Amino acid sequence: MKKRPSGLALIATLLVFTAVSAYATTKTTTINVKGMHCKMCSASVTKALKAVDGVEKVDVSFERGTATVAYDDQKVTEERLREVINSTGFKVVDEKTE
Amino acid sequence: MSKAILFSALLTALTIGVDQPAPEVVLKNLSGQTVRLDSYKGKVVLLNFWATWCPPCRAEMPDLVKWQRQFQGKGLQVVGITYPPTRVRDVRQFTRRIKVNYPILLGSKDTKVLFDSSDTMPVTIILDRNGMVKDRIEGIILPEEFAQKVKPLLN
Repeated sequence: MKKRPSGLALIATLLVFTAVSAYATTKTTTINVKGMHCKMCSASVTKALKAVDGVEKVDVSFERGTATVAYDDQKVTEERLREVINSTGFKVVDEKTE
Repeated sequence: MSKAILFSALLTALTIGVDQPAPEVVLKNLSGQTVRLDSYKGKVVLLNFWATWCPPCRAEMPDLVKWQRQFQGKGLQVVGITYPPTRVRDVRQFTRRIKVNYPILLGSKDTKVLFDSSDTMPVTIILDRNGMVKDRIEGIILPEEFAQKVKPLLN
């Protein structure tokens, strides 16, 4: 005869779900982009990143040569963000997560 | 009102709006021949302002080549217009390397201002078959933008 889950087990399961959901929060990363000297051109980086599902906020600075991106790490990876930047003709040189 | 705001307002006033006829433009191509923009009437025209020194401009051109090949039978005509500073030799080398299959015309800052007052590059202006400005795409053209803004005009 199967044992029915106890109330304690249900609470534990709920806690695990909550913890997993808590990890699916917004991450922010700053990616260094090589060759982004032209203000006229950097708009394409912003546009391409904003078009990615899971990207919540984008701040591209051609002066600093960086793209700071807030994203949902359940929907998109940092690797994908780097690919998108490279597809705009610029080159990601390295990256750091804040 | 500051000079910058006045200048910006002037640029905007000079720029053609959506659903207005494209201005008369006559430019030279890479062979030195004169080309009139209105010679493309009857086709859906993508006027792509680009420069060899602009990485996103170069990055999007293979897509423009692909779309020109795929949709020329449906009346698509991509026209590349260079933005200064332009070294014709670099333009020739680059367009040969990526096998550009559409005309490249040598433009100026004034040419771009006629169609677009933004600071963005690349910029693509969409003209319908009657030579009317239908839309303006700032930055790289995303495939979904092409599907949404250009394809319906080709039907």
